[in-house]
Formats: sequence, C-alpha cells, structure tokens
Amino acid sequence: MDIRAIKEALDAEVIEGRELLNDRVDHVYASDLMSDVLAFGQPDSILLTGLATQQAVISAHMAEFKGVVFIRGKHPKDGAGKFARENRLVILRSNLDMYEACVRIENLVQGEQGKLEARKKADEPEKLLLSQERFMEGSDFANAGMISTEIKSVLKKIGFDPKLIRRVAIATYEGEMNVVMHAKRARVFLTVTPKVIEVIIDDEGKGIPDVEKAMQAGFSTATEEQRAMGFGSGMGLPNIRRNTDELNIESQVGQGTKLQMRFMI
Amino acid sequence: MADCQHTWEMTGITFGFVVFEKCFHCKDLRTFFTEEDHPYLGEGYREDDHYWNRMEAAQTFQFDLRCTRCSHQVSFRDLMGLLHCTGCLEDCPVNVRRLALEKDRTFVLVAFGFLPQALEKPIPEEKLDLLTEYFNSRRDTSRSKIKILPFTLIEDLPRCKGDFIHDIGMLSQEPVTERKPLL
Amino acid sequence: MTVNEMAQKVDLKSLSTFEDRPVSGVFVSDMVSDVMAGAKSGNLWLTVQTHKSIVPAANLVDVSAVIVTGGKDVPAETVELASKFNIAVLSSDLPTFELVGKLYQLGLGSS
Repeated sequence: MDIRAIKEALDAEVIEGRELLNDRVDHVYASDLMSDVLAFGQPDSILLTGLATQQAVISAHMAEFKGVVFIRGKHPKDGAGKFARENRLVILRSNLDMYEACVRIENLVQGEQGKLEARKKADEPEKLLLSQERFMEGSDFANAGMISTEIKSVLKKIGFDPKLIRRVAIATYEGEMNVVMHAKRARVFLTVTPKVIEVIIDDEGKGIPDVEKAMQAGFSTATEEQRAMGFGSGMGLPNIRRNTDELNIESQVGQGTKLQMRFMI
Repeated sequence: MADCQHTWEMTGITFGFVVFEKCFHCKDLRTFFTEEDHPYLGEGYREDDHYWNRMEAAQTFQFDLRCTRCSHQVSFRDLMGLLHCTGCLEDCPVNVRRLALEKDRTFVLVAFGFLPQALEKPIPEEKLDLLTEYFNSRRDTSRSKIKILPFTLIEDLPRCKGDFIHDIGMLSQEPVTERKPLL
Repeated sequence: MTVNEMAQKVDLKSLSTFEDRPVSGVFVSDMVSDVMAGAKSGNLWLTVQTHKSIVPAANLVDVSAVIVTGGKDVPAETVELASKFNIAVLSSDLPTFELVGKLYQLGLGSS
C-alpha cells in the first residue's frame, strides 16, 4: 500500500517526507523494541512505534524501512526529524493507539485486496462465480414456480439489482411453467459470471414444432384443463423474450426443448 | 475541594529516562529524570570526592494525579519508580509486609524517590496512599489489591535486589539479555 | 469471551497457570510506562518483552493476560512469577501486527 493511504487511514500528521507519500510499503512492523526491528524487520516496511526517539528512526533506517509512524500522539525530538530528512524517511504521527492503528492498516490491506479481487474478476468476464443445477418434474403444478423462486432468492443474496432479478425470475418462471405444462422433466442450470446471469432449462418432452409460431403472443398449445387452471394464455415465450437480453431456443419434436436465457449484469 | 470524593486520573504524562549513577568510591547511588532522547552512559566523571559511573538509563514516565471532579492536582514528579520486591532478604521489612499482604491478595510495590534527596525527604505517606487508591480504582478490588510502600522501609538499600518496573534496552541495537540489580 | 476461549481461537500457547477471566479490550505496547499509563483492567496486553518485571507491571494494571508475540521464548522465571500471581502468560508465533488482525476478527476492540 502507499504511505499516503496509511497516513489517511491513521488520520496522521506528516512530520517528515511529504514528498515521499507516494512510495509503497510491503510490510508493517509494530514494535517498541529496536533490537527486534533490526533483527526481524524486512526492507520496504513501515514501523509503527510508541518509542518517540531518534533511535527509532535510525533503527528503521538500518532495517531499510521506508518510514516510521509514532503512535499515541507521541512527539519525537528534533534529532529524529533531521535524521529522517537526511536519509529520506517518512515520519508520521498519529493519535491512535497501537491496536487501533494496526486494525486500520489491516482494513486498508483487506480493502485493497478486495478491490484487487474485483478487478481480477472484471478482467475475466467468463470466470464462473456460481453454478447450480436443479431438477424438476413435468405436470408438477403443486411445485410450479419453486425453482424460479429459489433462483430469485440466490440472486437476491448475492445482491444483484432488483430489476435484473425480477427479469430473471419472470423469464425463469415462464420457462418453468412450460416444462410443467408440456414436458416430462427438466434440468435447470443457473450460471453467474462477472458479466452474465444465464439460466438454461433443458427438458425432456414434446418439443416445439414451430418455434417462430410459438414466439407469437397469444399462440398457445395449452390443454383445456390447463387453461382452466389459468395457464396457457400463450404469453410464455414472448414474455421470456421480453425479459432476456439473449434467448436461444433449441427444440426437437418428441425429444425436448432447451432454452438458453442470458441476462447481462 | 475538601469535601470532594476524589476520582483520580493521570495527567501531564512525560516520557523520559531515569539515569542511575553509582559512585565508584563510596557506592553512593544517584538518580535523576531526563527527557533527553538518548542519555549517554559512557565514561564516569568526577565531582568533588565522588567518581560517578552511569549504570543504567531506564525508560520510564512522570505524571501528576488530577481529580476529575474538582481538578485538584497532586504532583508525583518526586516519584522515581516503583519496585517489585523479589524477597531477596527474608527479614527485610518490605519482604515481611509483602508476605503478610499477599495472604490477603494484596500485592506490594515499593515507591522510590530520587536519590539522594529522598533519603532526607522521602515521599510523604499520604501521597503513597493516594497512589495506592489511584491504582486500586483501576481494578476490581474484590479479586486483588495493590499497596504502595515507602522505600525507607528498606534498611540496607545497596543490598536490595528488587526489580524496578521500567524498560531497559529499548534503544539498544542488540537484545538485552540480563538486567542487573540497580541498587 | 474469556482468556481461554480467546487463546483457543487464535491458537495461543498457555505458559503460566492462571484463573480464567473475561477479556475486555486489547493494549499493544512493549513499554511498561505505556502500560502503566494507559492499559485498563481486563485488557489483553500484547508485547515482545519477556523479562520478569512484565509480571508486576501486568499485575499493577490488572490485565487479563499477557500475550508474548513473535514466537519469543519466555524465561522460566517470568512464567513462575506469573503463575504465582495467577496471571495468564500466553505465547503466539505471530508478529504483533498479524495477531492484532486475528484478535480484531474475534470482535475485540481497543483498550
């Protein structure tokens, strides 16, 4: 992390080395015992200490540290500043106690790591963040809607935009209903990458003889019984199309239908 | 102010060193507090008939106690340090009192003034009682207590092998392995 | 959280014999002056110091435990004195900065 970030995290005052704040440090060493600093400190570290003396700065210098933070509001004597200036070291002063100072820098590191992870994920658009598979039975009206409800719940937990979740839920529900009405059984795949949510409903069933016709609003092959239940208004595929960013339909009569629905994040 | 049930806090905290000097000839001991960054221990020096050697510079601090209710302040700048009795001399009055008090879950520390002045003018017992009260207010006294005793109880000062509560060797470039008795 | 519970969670080794007690807050310093001036009763005191006068210092401010960091060897006389005073002395292989991170994750706050 860079020294400026540490300064800000610790609400610290710059005593020396304002021009060195862009320098980066790789490690943090918290100690008041200078012999330890010399024995165990690594180069390019920053020292957090309550020992406000020139010796602390000298020890940091000898261990090849980039600088020192005096905690608990302690003031080093003049010699410390002069030595730091002559040897290009940063001196910061913070009113925080050692525990709090360490915690804040730790949070800074975690925050940076978090950002790094997010950046890495953004650079790999196809990287799989989530992959789930579910099974459903055709004619199972009692459980109709259960899978789209589960998927909605999963996406909500991840924290996606509610409008996006609604689209996925609606499209998946329609697909689920088609399975319940026209197929024997199906596998439902949910995949999430940094750029895309994809739901695939792959069923074993009648298949769709004329996809284009099926895409027309109002066209329905629902049975009397199903209409009586309130389904089969023929809005299924058009509704799916309306809510997806990309829709691919593969179907084979007598075998089944595979719907690939993609939603851009 | 006299009616105040004082609640004490430390104030005016100053970090620095206590320097211990011993005379090569007569074994007299001298101590003083300094805010110097790094007290020089080096060679001895002559003063009148004495030949002083700096034995140790120990990191410590000075403070006053202030009442948070009425702002009454009591200076403790005459406190050189607190010593932990190691029981080196069985019939030393400090050791005797220490053993008795420990039975009552009370732990003893010995308050030293700066030498040689404190030999003539020790820290008044009322102040030590105040210090005792202060440290006890920072803990659950149903578990254990602290009692601060005056160093004048120690009959043979140069023979005392107690440990002062202060830091030695913080600035040293090499780890300090041994702490020698200072008195 | 008590000393023993905390010790188990962050993988500390108990060196002295002591009475378990609740932990409240963490104080980090290698200088006994800082401890005497600033530590509070019940604190965990993190330090690399191992000389036996850390025991009367710990006792004076009534810390719940002294944790020696950095994998330092604690001399027998320090451990013995601590056991006598019923003060917990524990040790960690981690450097101070890293142990703080772990204690923070347990939800422990500053002194």
